[in-house]
Amino acid sequence: MRFIADFIGALREAGLPISPAESLDAIKAIELLGLESRATAKSVLALTLVKRHQDQATYHELFELYFAHIENAHANGDNTLESLEATDKQQSQSQNQESAEAKDGSAAIASSELGLSLLQQQDMALAIAQAAKAENLSSIVLFTQKNHFAYKIMQRLGGDELNTEIRAIVDSPEQKRLQEQLTQARARLLEQVKDYVEQQYLIFARHKGAKFREDHLQQAKLSQLEHTDYALMQRLVQKAARKLATQHSRRRLTRKRGQLDVRKTIAANAAFDGALFHTRWKATRVERPKIMVICDVSGSVSRVARFLLLFLYSLQDVIPKVRSYVFASDMIEVTTLLQQEEIESALEKIMQCWGGLSTDYGQALMNFQEQALTHIDQKTTIIMLGDARNNQGDGRPDIWQKVYRQSKRVLWLNPEQRNSWDTGDSIMAQYSPWCSSVEPCRSLNDIEGIFSRILKYA
Amino acid sequence: MIIKHQEKIASPQVIQRQFEALGYICSPSVATAIYLACHLQKPILIEGPPGVGKTELAKITAAYLNTPLIRMQCYEGLDESKALYEWKYGKQLLYTQVLKEQLGDVLRGARGLDESIARLHDFGDIFYSQDFLEPRPLLQALQSEEGAVLLVDEIDKADQEFEAFLLELLSDYQVSIPEIGTVKARSTPIVMLTSNNTRELGDALKRRCLHLYIPFPDTELESRILAAQVDNLDTQLREQIVTLIAKLRDMPLKKSPAVSETIDWAKALLLLNVEELDPHWVKETLNLLLKFQDDIELVEPEITNLLKGVA
Repeated sequence: MRFIADFIGALREAGLPISPAESLDAIKAIELLGLESRATAKSVLALTLVKRHQDQATYHELFELYFAHIENAHANGDNTLESLEATDKQQSQSQNQESAEAKDGSAAIASSELGLSLLQQQDMALAIAQAAKAENLSSIVLFTQKNHFAYKIMQRLGGDELNTEIRAIVDSPEQKRLQEQLTQARARLLEQVKDYVEQQYLIFARHKGAKFREDHLQQAKLSQLEHTDYALMQRLVQKAARKLATQHSRRRLTRKRGQLDVRKTIAANAAFDGALFHTRWKATRVERPKIMVICDVSGSVSRVARFLLLFLYSLQDVIPKVRSYVFASDMIEVTTLLQQEEIESALEKIMQCWGGLSTDYGQALMNFQEQALTHIDQKTTIIMLGDARNNQGDGRPDIWQKVYRQSKRVLWLNPEQRNSWDTGDSIMAQYSPWCSSVEPCRSLNDIEGIFSRILKYA
Repeated sequence: MIIKHQEKIASPQVIQRQFEALGYICSPSVATAIYLACHLQKPILIEGPPGVGKTELAKITAAYLNTPLIRMQCYEGLDESKALYEWKYGKQLLYTQVLKEQLGDVLRGARGLDESIARLHDFGDIFYSQDFLEPRPLLQALQSEEGAVLLVDEIDKADQEFEAFLLELLSDYQVSIPEIGTVKARSTPIVMLTSNNTRELGDALKRRCLHLYIPFPDTELESRILAAQVDNLDTQLREQIVTLIAKLRDMPLKKSPAVSETIDWAKALLLLNVEELDPHWVKETLNLLLKFQDDIELVEPEITNLLKGVA
């Protein structure tokens, strides 16, 4: 059952949430049906361990890798997994005997134990697996560690002694031949070890590395992302949005019973002589939030804006009434653009037209006042994303004050850290009195947190 | 469940063969799931696109094990009074009327309030008891003497609360009724839940279930299903149908044709005496396969192309 435990470990590393209860189920199921047939084993483990459809592919891949590796390692066994542990012991015993005999008989050929086994063309697979276990290869995380582990395993197999031996042999042609043989054998062994490490890396670590990178990106400053991270980041944003979407839609589904509707209840029970059998309840109406998002897409803010827009795009299903505006100096509504276009091309268009221009908050707010002020009511949440750097112009905080008074809530998300607000041409202080809250918004984690709060209290 | 016929569930292979004899062609992993559900006494959560035979699987299992099938269709707003039990209000009302008349007898001769209350306490209260309990599907399944197959259909349509409410039933095969206490299963039913993935189910629910995903069948399997379901279908036509359907499923359609639609289509073609697929007949009958006008418009111009590799 150790195989199963290891396999579950590998699955967990790959991101499948497997609880101890499920591991126990898997083991019970395997006890019932055995591991003789690989196909059965595969469906048994899938039934008990893989609970999300999106994990099926990962499972499939890992199962093939893992079981191919076990079967390879024991190719001279009879290939059924159940007998593997037994074969394990037998093999190592007979191997010990052999090498002992060999030492007595022909020790003159090679002195190091490893050299001896190699010259006898023993199958090293098991020894490699054992050495790897001793070196804790399954803890491998990054591909850069592969060489390190290969080296360690070689050492444990007796590589140092073999090296010494190879270096020490000189002169006589017979010895020269031996040296060559040993060198070749060493190269072959190294190749085998590297293959093994590679395979183990694929099983245990590839997903770890990816997860490592994802965790890192979650917290990375959006403004400093490399262009190469965009694709992955986009996936993460969509994942976060989906998560929020399911959480929120779940809440929407549960329509709470409201207060007892006395009038309807009495009417419904008239037939029962006024005894109240059937209760009628006032349904509570779910108020959907109206959200207006204003994005500063100029210069430095544009990168963060990109992700906020991406996030909005993914959230459209949850909050049907989002209106989006972007501005550098002139402000324009992009709601329909985001709804109709594919996300990629929509973002491209927005960034091309407005990205990188210099900022004029005053002008932008004046536009906003003309276009949107009449649509703002007491149910509207306004979200502004911007650094409030206005190039010394008039920021028109009076308009922002009107917006604040007319709406339910005003959030200002600033992609700069707090202590650089109000330095240079930043006029955050003029706006912050007219905001319900002002928060720094610097990473995906921040965006996710802010939206989860909006949805919660909406 | 006390399995009356152990030999029926001796191995996944037996199940698969027997299901086949009953006309339900399934992959080995489906048979393995049924086998494990019987032996480990665990519920199965069945997911997959609509029309691959999820509900059918529960029906065939019940038929095979010769137990009643208790089916509960889930929908938004489903609550325990509809799923588990309800009180028989009318009967309870009658009971109170009877009680009122008897009250005089019970209390005759009692002095003061204290004594009256004491007598009332001694008087057996059956207002909330099994007699007035109206069992709904879940309770029926638990009370069934000879076991049952309980199908909780489309659990993803039910609310979050209902899902949580099911947890006790799924792990311990018992439910708590506040007025009576815990009702344990007389014999453990086989529980199957189906989901179309309208919403993500909770982890707690998934943890308690075996998770079976039934995908669209491959051409070979589907061909066998057709052979079992539609009599007198010519082998060549059958292969053509299956190949074309597989191709359609590869297209970016709103709704891919399901197995049930394949069967309907095959039956229709048989009725129309079609011997070989040709563009004309495919076009005429396309609305049997595709349920959205958009899809039909997408496929129609491609029909000739699609049929090229088929015939």
